[in-house]
Amino acid sequence: MFAYTVRRLLQMIPLLFAASVVIFTLLALQPGDPLDELRQQNPRITAEQLEQLRRAYGLDQPVYVRYFKWLGRAIQGDFGQSRTYASPAGQIIFGQRLPRTLILSGAALTLALLVAIPVGIFSAVRQYSRADYLITFFSFVGFSMPIFFLGILLLFVFAVWLPERVPWFPKFPVQSISDFQWSQVLSGEITFFQFIGDWAFKLVLPVLALSTIQMASWTRYMRASLLEVLNQDYVRTARAKGLNERIVLYKHALRNALIPIVTLVGLAIPGVFGGAVITETIFSYPGMGRAIFDSLVEKDYNVAMAALAFLALLTATFNLLADLMYAVVDPRIRYS
Amino acid sequence: MAAVATASKQKPQSTWALAWRRFRKHKAAMVSLGVVITLILMAIFAPWIAPHSPTAQPTGENLADYYFQGPSREHWLGTDELGRDVLSRIIYGARISLLVGFVAAFAAALLGTTLGVIAGYFSGRPLRFYVGPFAKVAGGWKPWPFALWRVVSWVLLYGLLFLAADLAWELSGANIQALFSGTLTLNNVLSLLGLALVWGLILFIAGWGLFGQGKIDLDVIISRFMDFMLTIPELPLLLVLSALLRDTQGAVGQWAQNVFGESASVFIIITIIVLFGWIGTGRLIRGAVLSLREQDFTTAAQALGAGDARIMFRHLVPNTLAPLIVNATLAIGGAILTEAALSFLGFGIQPPVATWGNMLTKAQEYIFTAPWLALAPGFMIFLTVLAFNYLGDGLRDALDPRSRL
Repeated sequence: MFAYTVRRLLQMIPLLFAASVVIFTLLALQPGDPLDELRQQNPRITAEQLEQLRRAYGLDQPVYVRYFKWLGRAIQGDFGQSRTYASPAGQIIFGQRLPRTLILSGAALTLALLVAIPVGIFSAVRQYSRADYLITFFSFVGFSMPIFFLGILLLFVFAVWLPERVPWFPKFPVQSISDFQWSQVLSGEITFFQFIGDWAFKLVLPVLALSTIQMASWTRYMRASLLEVLNQDYVRTARAKGLNERIVLYKHALRNALIPIVTLVGLAIPGVFGGAVITETIFSYPGMGRAIFDSLVEKDYNVAMAALAFLALLTATFNLLADLMYAVVDPRIRYS
Repeated sequence: MAAVATASKQKPQSTWALAWRRFRKHKAAMVSLGVVITLILMAIFAPWIAPHSPTAQPTGENLADYYFQGPSREHWLGTDELGRDVLSRIIYGARISLLVGFVAAFAAALLGTTLGVIAGYFSGRPLRFYVGPFAKVAGGWKPWPFALWRVVSWVLLYGLLFLAADLAWELSGANIQALFSGTLTLNNVLSLLGLALVWGLILFIAGWGLFGQGKIDLDVIISRFMDFMLTIPELPLLLVLSALLRDTQGAVGQWAQNVFGESASVFIIITIIVLFGWIGTGRLIRGAVLSLREQDFTTAAQALGAGDARIMFRHLVPNTLAPLIVNATLAIGGAILTEAALSFLGFGIQPPVATWGNMLTKAQEYIFTAPWLALAPGFMIFLTVLAFNYLGDGLRDALDPRSRL
């Protein structure tokens, strides 16, 4: 197991190298360099000054040289300057944006799991009941629902329509980021509960939107996985022994049914991070996805590069974790 | 006698007839089939059905009166921020969505099947990949495509080596020149050592390339490539690719415009969806072929002298058809969703061409004043994707040979 982990970790290096080469090249090929913006803002800028800036940004060198220079600095934690934020890109992404996306995605994933597993179990235990049909239908609806449409619908219903009609209904914000800072709690300006409450209230809609697809698909997988296990011989044996149905279900069946779910969840996590681009755009939530989007529009590629490199690392790590977890929860699997 | 009577009543049925009988029992899938056929007809006959032109804007005085009209007899779904008829735009939008969905899913299935079957079939059987110019091997020039590749591979190898040598000099050259002009720093010395190491390695490979030969397992290459594609964050990269290919200023964008011509943005979106879409099919087919190639019918075909290509595409691929069809059907829904998401973010098909995705972009801005603008396109995307998902589910049940009537 240890040798397997080490080998997989070593395999990750060329994989990440190739991924970063591709991402860097695609960003470097993007039309128009960052200087275009400057040229438009300041028409009196001279060709000489532009040439100096070009050299300062390292844009006069070929792509592959720029890549290796970027790689050398990135390994040391320097992701270059962000032009639009006028501060280091690494600090923008990892110091400011990533924690916000972690909060949003983490809450969405937790909610999805908390709903999907019990509902999936219920649906499988009552197979072909009316409730099962209803749950199956709603999970189909859930993962056919475009997240951007769901987001707009949620905004319309909870930020516009209901508050206008129901006087006591809280008006959910269109901008989903709280103004409260953690430092305000420390200085005693606001209480801890005000801080948590405000953040939670503003995150309700984006978390709902982001978790729906995962919730729906995990419910389906949980149901299918448990149904398959319930048909196994050892479950029949357990029942034949006269065991309590509760013990059969939770001790014999559920544990085995959860094995494929572990892999599924592990593999879905990076997708949720990447997919947060849409949610963050709709709800004006300044997280990492929004930063990627903005930096592409603004041609501020250092920010996009830092975020995309991190996402690639995250994906590779979770792919490995999913495989390792699989071996941990299922003693039948042995890696050599 | 009774047995004979029942036997004569039952007509012999083909696999497809049996599948159709099973499919008809799946009510949701049958309804979805109806929805999909309606959508296709709507897309084909859009110019005859649509009451207005999708891009026509009102002219004359008091233009503002025509903007943001609510649903009326003249405009069933109202008008948008430029006074265009929303219903007509929805009908024309179906053309783009279905075109993207069907073409992208079909192309992805084709690419995924081809690469998947190659990976699965040749797994564990390394093929000749490189034979140096002075290597002594029997049949080193046969068949002729390999002879061609053999020459091309020399050019590739030595070209790459030259590039690597050049790159190493580019990165360390300044430091080394400084070193020889008298500045003795650790960095400069390290640069010299690094350059020596890299150039030494390059020389070694160049020497090996003259006489050496290498074999390579296609499965390893394709599987690693699929792993690699799965490492790349998909949605952000779709945005990057779309921005790159759609731009008319840059060289890459111009190339794309020339290749795809008139409706470039649609085909660019299809291309980038296929780029990420084939991996699921590829893994599926590879897994299936790995087990199918061990079965007796494959051995029989080999014993009869069938070639590799014939075994792969006449014997193995047809046996993977059932999961392939299900996969492709679900992929249509997925491609429609991706196109809509890209267009919604402004990185897909650009206005004034009406697509359901880009109709939603504008609609979000007017959610306080004209909320109905968001409902129609959003609902159409949802309905279409739901229909394809149910269709895939029904096909899965119908094509599963284990489920009998």
